[in-house]
Amino acid sequence: MASVTLKNIVKKYGDVEVVHGVDLTIDDGKFVVLLGPSGCGKSTLLRMIAGLESVTGGDVEIAGSRVNDVHPKDRNIAMVFQNYALYAHMTVKDNMSFSLILARRPQSEIDEKVGWAAKILNLESYLKRFPRELSGGQRQRVAMGRAIVRDPAVFLFDEPLSNLDARLRVQMRTEIKDLHERLKTTTVYVTHDQIEAMTMADTIVILRDGIIEQVGTPLDVYDFPANLFVAEFIGSPSMNLIKGVVEGGHVVTKGGVKLPLPKKHKAKSGQKVVYGIRPEHLDVGKGFAVKILVTEPTGPEIHVYSEFGENEICAILRERRDLKRGSMLELAPRLDKAHLFDAASGKVI
Amino acid sequence: MEISRPWRVARDFLAVFVTGIFMFPMFWWALTSVKPMYAIFDKDKIVWFDFTPTIVNYAVTILGLSRSQLAIEQGFGMGVTGDGGYDSRQTILDSAIVSVGSTALTMAVAVFAAYALSRMAFKGRLSYLNWVLGQRFMPPIAILIPLVTIYKAAGLRDTDNVYMGYVGLSLIYALMNLPIALLLMKSFFDDIPKDVDEAAMIDGATRWQTFRKIVLPMAKGGVAASAVLCFIFAWTEFLLSLFLTTEIRTVPVKIQTFVTSTGSEWGFISALGTAAIVPSFIFILLVQRHLVRGLTLGSLKE
Ligand SMILES: Nc1ncnc2c1ncn2[C@@H]1O[C@H](COP(=O)(O)OP(=O)(O)OP(=O)(O)O)[C@@H](O)[C@H]1O
Ligand SMILES: [Mg+2]
Repeated sequence: MASVTLKNIVKKYGDVEVVHGVDLTIDDGKFVVLLGPSGCGKSTLLRMIAGLESVTGGDVEIAGSRVNDVHPKDRNIAMVFQNYALYAHMTVKDNMSFSLILARRPQSEIDEKVGWAAKILNLESYLKRFPRELSGGQRQRVAMGRAIVRDPAVFLFDEPLSNLDARLRVQMRTEIKDLHERLKTTTVYVTHDQIEAMTMADTIVILRDGIIEQVGTPLDVYDFPANLFVAEFIGSPSMNLIKGVVEGGHVVTKGGVKLPLPKKHKAKSGQKVVYGIRPEHLDVGKGFAVKILVTEPTGPEIHVYSEFGENEICAILRERRDLKRGSMLELAPRLDKAHLFDAASGKVI
Repeated sequence: MEISRPWRVARDFLAVFVTGIFMFPMFWWALTSVKPMYAIFDKDKIVWFDFTPTIVNYAVTILGLSRSQLAIEQGFGMGVTGDGGYDSRQTILDSAIVSVGSTALTMAVAVFAAYALSRMAFKGRLSYLNWVLGQRFMPPIAILIPLVTIYKAAGLRDTDNVYMGYVGLSLIYALMNLPIALLLMKSFFDDIPKDVDEAAMIDGATRWQTFRKIVLPMAKGGVAASAVLCFIFAWTEFLLSLFLTTEIRTVPVKIQTFVTSTGSEWGFISALGTAAIVPSFIFILLVQRHLVRGLTLGSLKE
């Protein structure tokens, strides 16, 4: 087990810089998720930790020592790839024993470790099969087994679940989390699926275009987004973001509707801002009037899409009511849950 | 897409017909090889099946039965030339040595070179590949005379030392085969995801172990397919063998000597020819699946 530290990491491909100075400390035993849209540099960052990609600038440290120039095989890490990267010509057992054989461990230890991993991963009856004879979920588990038999200092996962169907994904999500609870091995997990990130992570690192936008616990980044990008990226349906200007205790939006200011804010009068309120933090009650456009009942709740002034807004209502297209409704934002962002910088104020 | 029945019948018929056209010479060749002399040379009609099959042509060419002995037994005694000249056992051995040798040499180089071209980044990687392929643009006959001179000077001709002759011929076949083997092997290696190499490296494998234990075994079908192509090229090559060797007689050159001033020995020609097809045929059957994949040069994913 070990901590992982990234110090001002820069990555360039030729002249193109794709990671721009990332600083991150991952404590021993933590489950950290790198989350961000496609192409933001998640895989690149993970591969630099693994040693599969060279580091252009900055330092990668594992367990306190600099590993920039250490070969992947000497970093004591294990990685699970998106396409599993199993050894097609070897049986499940051989796939899992490969690293132990290379390390010249005694046969008794190899058998014991592989047996243990197979048991944890429910692969005991498949040990003699070849990868081509397994289902996607089973292959995924073999890839995990290959990683855990080694007892590595750090686990790296690069979107390990994205090739699975939705049901299996949920199941494997739980299994990986359970595995982490049991093994307590430092884990870096890459995904672009925010549900995966929210449910699995101790800490979420949100990346955009090679820059860290925010680091925090799942609920932290949900409740207190540091900027507009995070506010919009986390949550589904995403946070309502309404442009306006601060004037006399209100945010005046396009079309002249006045929204009450959040409880806590540092906005100055006349400042151009973006008002942020999550759909579930809008209640029916005395507030501002909206005209209903679309309603989507999901069972436990109703998603109401509506407009006011020149703005669109989505609200999630829990109690059932008769809502007709074109009818009016009055919504009140919960002021302790509302956010205010500076329109120019996008930062929370 | 659903094809209507008449079209399907027409398509199948056409397929059989075209295959038939290509297969017919081989069939006729094999048929001729079991015909007695009178059935091969009948000036009045074409003999299809009304003859008594004989293995005498095979007995003479690949079992070493004496030609004059045969003639005496058949009762036309005198005037038969080339007594030992039809015994092709040494020829088959020569061909096997040169084909296997050149194939081994080609693959030993191609496998490593292709791995480097597929997996390592170095300057001029792509132009290197084009340059290698460029070697195949020149027809062998264009370099034949200089090659003979060079081989003479380098002592690679069998007239000086028969063993060097084997080496020399294997060497030139290996050079002829290298570009295509390289290209094929590269495409087979390219088909193996790089993630697999990386997984092996993370599992603690050195580059050599990754190659030896992971990449090469995963490409073994490709290695077999490329090797078979090389083998067949060497097995059937005529021109270089004819010019570069005297003592060593590969099968195609030997067959050509059956055309003599006193007549062409069609029975022996077809017998040796048919026998020579057999190994290639078996190999092709074994690697057929990979060959089709290989000849499309990796353009198809599984
Ligand atoms: N070998 C390479 N050469 C040049 N640019 C590259 C290379 N690999 C990645 N990039 C670029 O680096 C950026 C980050 O890529 P990366 O693979 O890390 O994205 P990602 O966040 O993992 O995306 P995804 O979710 O789609 O996997 C992308 O803009 C990509 O185009
Ligand atoms: Mg990626």
